Amino acid sequence: MKILVCIKQTPDSTVRVKVASDGRSIDTAGVTWAISAYDEYAVELALEHKDRDKESTVTVLSAGPARARDSLRQALAMGCDDAILVTGPSAETLAPLAVARALAKVIEETKPDLVLCGRQASDDEQGFVGPALAEVLGWPHVATITKFAPADGGVDAWKEVEGGHEVWRANGPAVLTVQKSEKEPRYPSLPGIMKAKKKEIPERDPASLGIDASAPAPEIVKMAPPPARGAGKVIKDGDAKAAAAQLVKLLREEAKVL
Amino acid sequence: MIAPTAGPGALVLAVLTALGFGAFLWRAYQLYRYMRLGRDEDRTAHLGRRFRDELLVYLGQRKLLKRPYYVRGAAHALIFWGFLVITYGTADLLLSGILGWRMPGTDSGVFVWTVDLFAVAVLTSVLIALYRRAFVRPPRMHIALDGYVILGLISLLMLSLLVFENAGVAAGVLAAGQTPPPLATALRFRYPGDLSFTLFAGAWWVHVLTVLAFAAYLPQSKHLHIATTLPNVFFRSQRPRGALDLVDKIEERETFGAGSVRDLSWKQLLDGYTCTECGRCSDQCPALATGKPLDPQKIVLDVRDQLLREGARLVRDGGERGTPPARWTPAKTEELWACTTCAACVEACPVTIEHIDKIVDMRRWLAMNEGDVPAEAQRALTNIERAGDPWGLPRDTRADWANGLGVPTFAEKPDAEYLYFVGCAASYDGRNQKVARAAVEVLRAAGVSFAILGNEETCNGDPARRIGNEYLWQTQARQNIDTFTKYGVRKIVASCPHCFNTIANEYPQLGGSYEVLHIQQLVQRLVADGRLAMRDGAARETVAYHDPCYLGRHNGVYDAPRDLLDAVPGVERVEIEPHHRERGFCCGAGGGRMWMEEKVGQRVNHRRIEQIMALDRQASKVASGCPFCLIMLEEGVGAKGIGDRIRPVDVLELVAARLPKNEVANA
Repeated sequence: MKILVCIKQTPDSTVRVKVASDGRSIDTAGVTWAISAYDEYAVELALEHKDRDKESTVTVLSAGPARARDSLRQALAMGCDDAILVTGPSAETLAPLAVARALAKVIEETKPDLVLCGRQASDDEQGFVGPALAEVLGWPHVATITKFAPADGGVDAWKEVEGGHEVWRANGPAVLTVQKSEKEPRYPSLPGIMKAKKKEIPERDPASLGIDASAPAPEIVKMAPPPARGAGKVIKDGDAKAAAAQLVKLLREEAKVL
Repeated sequence: MIAPTAGPGALVLAVLTALGFGAFLWRAYQLYRYMRLGRDEDRTAHLGRRFRDELLVYLGQRKLLKRPYYVRGAAHALIFWGFLVITYGTADLLLSGILGWRMPGTDSGVFVWTVDLFAVAVLTSVLIALYRRAFVRPPRMHIALDGYVILGLISLLMLSLLVFENAGVAAGVLAAGQTPPPLATALRFRYPGDLSFTLFAGAWWVHVLTVLAFAAYLPQSKHLHIATTLPNVFFRSQRPRGALDLVDKIEERETFGAGSVRDLSWKQLLDGYTCTECGRCSDQCPALATGKPLDPQKIVLDVRDQLLREGARLVRDGGERGTPPARWTPAKTEELWACTTCAACVEACPVTIEHIDKIVDMRRWLAMNEGDVPAEAQRALTNIERAGDPWGLPRDTRADWANGLGVPTFAEKPDAEYLYFVGCAASYDGRNQKVARAAVEVLRAAGVSFAILGNEETCNGDPARRIGNEYLWQTQARQNIDTFTKYGVRKIVASCPHCFNTIANEYPQLGGSYEVLHIQQLVQRLVADGRLAMRDGAARETVAYHDPCYLGRHNGVYDAPRDLLDAVPGVERVEIEPHHRERGFCCGAGGGRMWMEEKVGQRVNHRRIEQIMALDRQASKVASGCPFCLIMLEEGVGAKGIGDRIRPVDVLELVAARLPKNEVANA
């Protein structure tokens, strides 16, 4: 099975994100970048399949600025076979729909049997590109899957639902967006890292793919950090009875939860 | 004595000697070839120290004569010294029996007395050893037939020696002018008829044949240590104990760590031959003591057994890789991950076996080649990689602990004398941030010129290296060394023994050499020089001192913290006997265990708390000098709900509380 995984590079979860001075984007100075969490699950899920079926290949694809190359290399180190980067002067500002169109162009050329995406990116949490990609390709789409298996030239996809799971079948190539892999995403072995360093990552320019960077897209008008949490209150005075009475009073009058 | 080998006897003896020693040499050659399957490692530097070790550790038996093994150690030393003398006599017997030649001095009264005394001493020691095996049966001792065979052969040697000397004197076979052996001839037996010569000749032959049987049996048994200890001590590691071996040219390698016996160094394989199964390492292992699958003795014996199992095949087929350690025995990986690298085993081993290096080499294979690391440890590694600290807290909040303290960074104060390397724990962990603040107060009070790196500091890499991810350690170390170079740092003080150890002992492997101190060493000097005044503000308190492994056993820093504690007014120090100094009991957090779950057996830190609470002289505080120890002790005290009886602290906190300006706050 030929699997292609689309990944996005986002700030690492260990980074404390700060709002930039324009008030509508984040300050990227000093940020550590990583594969978006759900995309990493998608890579892991594809590799778990490859572990079982050595004939399978896994390609990773990303559209974004040049630094996204590092995340593709990370995926190669984990065990993916090859990687493609869609980048260029316009790549920094590609609208989400244009990203989906650019990815679709590359996918039409590489003709995978299956495309995996994370269910949403961990920066904007929009969950847009996966379904949009299926729409542009004209392929079926199953959301929030936790497992897949090839079936009669197509694919079966498991998705967890309240109290159990459903199995959906696509009869041909499909786009699946991933909720979680079976295991935690693997840590690259050192030989894997070294091999990944030597691999060529071909670049595609959105313009040469015939993609117009602008596409209908919402605009972020304001970004703000969550309000700082106030310090907790400790009731120290009095015996248990008095303290309980005071707690009830505070919960009713200050916290207004009773 | 004149040998009873007249006529064909000399020829028979010559043939038997050739057979006995031939069998020894043949097996020794096989074992040598197996040993050379190991990777090359140069162990020839520091010749002076190597000869000194031979004198002290080999001839002097220094590592055997240690608490709590004084009696057993002395018994062994007697057997050993006895054998050195008696072996000289054995050479004399064989030479005189075959060629009629004598070894120089064997006629002298001194030699005869010495052999005689040692023969009785060895016999006595053998009886002690037999009694221990048969009746005491220490739980960690590997009791097998082999031990009895060896003790039987030794007894036979000594008994036959005493008998042939006694009967020989009666038969009048002493060479002219030779001194009669005093103890052997003390009993003046009267032998009927001419039996004395027959008895002499019989016992002589039994003795000599036993020697030859011993030689042939030796390399088949654990008793091989009498031949291998000499080189094993000579080639012991002369690296600082706290330093692991560098994986050189890591980017050019295809495999990492020990994926088979081939990847262990020849010296690590020699360690396997040298292990005498005494079990002292097992006695001291905190993991084994708390029910983990790890047994340091088994780690060494598994190496030996695996080498003997597949050595012949690997020697025949140079292309054969060999079996990865994970498949040597069941549960091998669990054993490897249970190690805290506390070095109690290394400290205890009488024949200088290096257990930690083997464990880490096998972990390196798992971590770097296989990517097979416990999930929680993996998270810590990923966090170090991405955030520069094992907890994965944001890089740019690293220096937040110092907010409002006005601690300068090197960028702000480039001429500072000391870099205070804060470390991840004191930077991010709430409890240990207090220690960092105490350190700042103390350094300031003594007028020390220092600065920190602020957010430019990153994890020193110690957990990564000990979990087996050498590559990540090298990445972290290089990053810190670059920062040190950028600011021209020459002197470093660390409040964490792990930072201290890796910067002092391991950064030089990558070209970063600095004058490094643990903060207790620096503060102890400041107090001794009269640069730091403390006043007796708080109440008197009894403080137990807990030795952090990476301060004590790994770096020999036992006295500075004790001297410092003794200088703190109002503090009375107690030792956590018998688990103090070089027998200190680990807190359970070293070797990357801080970030792994501990689900099997009792938690190591809980055992440590029990040891502290069992002291006759009850302490109200337990002081340490390591952030991980502090976290573990706090957890132990919390889990046992005894926070009102004992408080874990850092020694620096006790000092800071008695600085004149803090006195009011504490009163």
